[in-house]
Amino acid sequence: MIEQMDYAGTGSFIIILLVSLFIGMALSLQLSAELSGLGLKMYIGKIVGVSIIREIGPVMTALVFAGRVGSGMASELGSMILGHQVDTLRVFGVDPIKKLVTPRILSSLIMLPALTIVGDAVSILGGYYIAVFVSLQSDTFYWSSVREVVNVENVLSGFIKPFIFGYLIACISCYMGLSTKGGAMGLRRATTRAVVASFIMIIVADFILTRILLYVLGFSV
Amino acid sequence: MIEFDHVRFSYGAREVLRDVSFSVDFHEKVAILGGSGDGKTTILKLTMGLLRPDAGRILIDGQDISSKKEEDLREIRMKFSIVFQEGALFDSLNVKENVAFALREYRRLSEEEIEQKVRTLLKRVDLEDAMELMPEELSGGMHRRVAIMRSLAAVEPRMFLYDEPTTGLDPVNADIICKLILSLSREGKGFIIVTHKIFDAFKLAHRYMFLKNGMIMFDGRKEELTDSSIPEIQIFLTELSPRPKGSAST
Repeated sequence: MIEQMDYAGTGSFIIILLVSLFIGMALSLQLSAELSGLGLKMYIGKIVGVSIIREIGPVMTALVFAGRVGSGMASELGSMILGHQVDTLRVFGVDPIKKLVTPRILSSLIMLPALTIVGDAVSILGGYYIAVFVSLQSDTFYWSSVREVVNVENVLSGFIKPFIFGYLIACISCYMGLSTKGGAMGLRRATTRAVVASFIMIIVADFILTRILLYVLGFSV
Repeated sequence: MIEFDHVRFSYGAREVLRDVSFSVDFHEKVAILGGSGDGKTTILKLTMGLLRPDAGRILIDGQDISSKKEEDLREIRMKFSIVFQEGALFDSLNVKENVAFALREYRRLSEEEIEQKVRTLLKRVDLEDAMELMPEELSGGMHRRVAIMRSLAAVEPRMFLYDEPTTGLDPVNADIICKLILSLSREGKGFIIVTHKIFDAFKLAHRYMFLKNGMIMFDGRKEELTDSSIPEIQIFLTELSPRPKGSAST
């Protein structure tokens, strides 16, 4: 379990930091270019905050997590299948689901939300850099508009998603890994399927969750 | 006794075993020969209940295991010690933890007792000094020896099942493994060895089965096998037997 958390969390940390930073900066840059012409630059912080916390942060972190951790899970379990290690577990009376799948699901449930929080913070920081040093907006104004959107509804909306995404990624990846057949080619297929299926499920689940959360949290559409 | 009764098995659309029937006593020393993909490993997996037949019955000591639940198979599996191809050691555990794994699962022993038992087992195969090594640091022969000892750690098997135990090994290591297999099979314990290395099979077994196209084409003794007029067996013997000394090489 600890080993899995280390692989999922510590191993993905730098990648999440980098991706989040540049996503935040790119978003802020785009908004800046668009809103300057309309004289609405003061909304940059607010829009960056809402879109990162509610949507881009959880989805982007989940996609990176699926690409790195999900593929790792599928290939590791796949090679254990091909190397008869899973059969060996069964011979020793050990349930492979409990031994191999459960720790991976639990570590994803813990690490993906944690990484999402870090990723959100770094994205907002990236947005700040562009808004203040490139778009020359006042930093006090940027932070006050970000603070405005860091409320219970938005945070809850962005915090529930990683749990669902983490569960989906771990289940899909473990399933694909444990279904591996056919040597190195089979392992490649299983890993690719795990990543592709996870990506699609993240995007589909994001839409469904967004619809549900907006309704439950009382946002009018 | 192991009994296969008209067993059929397929991987998807590919039929691997077609109407396989045989019976083997626990004390017998059997070699199942055949080419790659002919279903040799599948027979071992079916024997352990790791796979379920599409049709037919598999009886272990008279109990039909074909439809038993996973949790009910533990008792059956404890009758055997199986060593998979290339050892199947757990990559993430060192040699000591690999051997200790079964002890931790099957028995309630103190850490000291586990350490002592592991040391004794590894000493038997001259690998006492390799306890802290990871599987990737072991040679092919060491891998197999650790795997054989791991399979013995927690159970007192009535029969050993070996899946290609000498494949990929140099002659010296293959000979070490053959000797180990023979020494373990004393005390009336038999084995089924699955291999395509007929030279090694001849060193070990008393009974030979030849599997081809999912069917047992031959079941008998060494002399009968070498005298067999079945063309597939002749090809197999010619291709895999070592050349006699002094034969010209082209």
